[in-house]
Amino acid sequence: MTAGLVADLQVRRRAFSLRASFALPDGVTAVFGPSGAGKSMLLAALAGLLGAGIGRVEVKGRILDDVDRKLHVRPHQRGVGLVFQDARLFPHLTVRGNLDFAARRATKSVVTPQEAATYFDIQMLLDRSIRNLSGGEKSRVALARALLSAPDLLLLDEPFSALDGPRRRAFLEVLREMHDRFGLPMLVVTHQIDDVAALAAQMIALDNGRVVASGPVAEVANRSDFQALLDPSDQGAPVTMTSPKGAAQAWVRADHVLLANVAPVGLSARHIWEVNVVAVDAEASGSVMVRLAGAAGVLRARVTQAAAEELALAPGVKVWAIVKAHAL
Amino acid sequence: MLSANEWSVLVTSFGVASRAVVWSLPIAIAFAYLLSRRAFPGKMLLDGLAHLPLVLPPVLIGFLMLLLLGRRGPIGAWLENVFGVHLAFTAEGASLATAVMTFPLTVRAIRMAFEATDRRLFEAAAVLGAGPVDRFLTVALPLAAPGVLAGAVTAFAAGLGEFGAVITFASNVPGETQTLPLAIYAALQMPDGEEQALRLAGLSFVLAITGLAAAEALQAWSRKRLEQ
Repeated sequence: MTAGLVADLQVRRRAFSLRASFALPDGVTAVFGPSGAGKSMLLAALAGLLGAGIGRVEVKGRILDDVDRKLHVRPHQRGVGLVFQDARLFPHLTVRGNLDFAARRATKSVVTPQEAATYFDIQMLLDRSIRNLSGGEKSRVALARALLSAPDLLLLDEPFSALDGPRRRAFLEVLREMHDRFGLPMLVVTHQIDDVAALAAQMIALDNGRVVASGPVAEVANRSDFQALLDPSDQGAPVTMTSPKGAAQAWVRADHVLLANVAPVGLSARHIWEVNVVAVDAEASGSVMVRLAGAAGVLRARVTQAAAEELALAPGVKVWAIVKAHAL
Repeated sequence: MLSANEWSVLVTSFGVASRAVVWSLPIAIAFAYLLSRRAFPGKMLLDGLAHLPLVLPPVLIGFLMLLLLGRRGPIGAWLENVFGVHLAFTAEGASLATAVMTFPLTVRAIRMAFEATDRRLFEAAAVLGAGPVDRFLTVALPLAAPGVLAGAVTAFAAGLGEFGAVITFASNVPGETQTLPLAIYAALQMPDGEEQALRLAGLSFVLAITGLAAAEALQAWSRKRLEQ
């Protein structure tokens, strides 16, 4: 594995301490965890905004922080971009002014402001003041501005938190395309597991300032300590779905998976997988978590105790897992 | 309408007040910016220094300036030897005394503007590749522009009325250092000078009101520009 980002951080601010050590390849990485886990602090540290003495950070082989060698590259020289939750556009500049601000200071050129504006569909807004933009427009301008600064690594602190429903999905789509097109390594903070599955190839799971697990999404998601981090209703597994639009990863909640011990017929559900039971774990709530594995990967299903007995669920048993497509 | 003498007083006043603003503004901006930043060693001292002219008697400021910048003062002697410049009893001296006296007002207005700007925008500028000086010039200063403008106009208006420090350091030389308040004072010293003093007082009043109105208009304009 060629590590694009290697970090070994030790940060203490007031009563909170963050200790995070990970090495990740280029690509899209999700930083996932409940609020207060230290996700924003992790990003601030990587961007150099917390000052020196935070540990060790290496991006694409370039050492940005090394506390032992008293090395600290300041935020404006790190080549690490950061898109803030609140966009933080400059109010004294127009949209164009904001884009030019980044482009003029970039050490290399990936796209021109005009191309970026077209790409993010903001060319109609270029001469507008940022005060009159909607939340979604602000997010897109912030993203375009960050891209124009041509960073080696782009950090995004829940840039879609102001968006909901279709606009959120559209924004995630833009992010994913942006990564595919410009090959820009990204670290995206989110507290929604669906975002992780939809966006990221690998993840860092944080809880209370500590890394619970880091690595490929499917691998981390398969760990019981990661599942314990989730709200019970969010527990599940990432699944790669193929649709006419292509392959996409989605989070399938255990509560949305039905099990059958014979091949189902005459069902409206589009997603039916033949899988084998890997483990059957009784939960404190009285229900049963069934871990399944099949050609498509790992899946989780939550069933009642009675159902588990009726279907004689035990490791090695073959069952059919049914997922309603709109649950995805 | 105005006599030649009155015109000369008016021109001197404007010259002294505007040069005072030009001299003090860059230093006031630097002070205000430093004071608006997080704590640093010597911040209290700097803050106190900036406020000194506000709490000391103006005559004392003028006297201190004479001691330091007069021909025999340590700085004054050096200035004369090296640059051939002398400040005491000159129009430049009157401007300097005015600049010193209006300095606290200017710093206050500008500092408030810096403190009101969203600090998080500086972080945004930093991660886009802007260094400290760059951030100051392209983010902090433009965002504080209405405050800087307000500080400059206030300093100018207050500078027109500066008396104690100016008369002590620069004396009351007609056509050179005799500003409006000094001319009123001089008129009052003369027998039958009351009418002249009243005319100058009226002039002073009109100027002050115009200055205030101009300050308001400028501020409203610059704020509107920022909020477009």
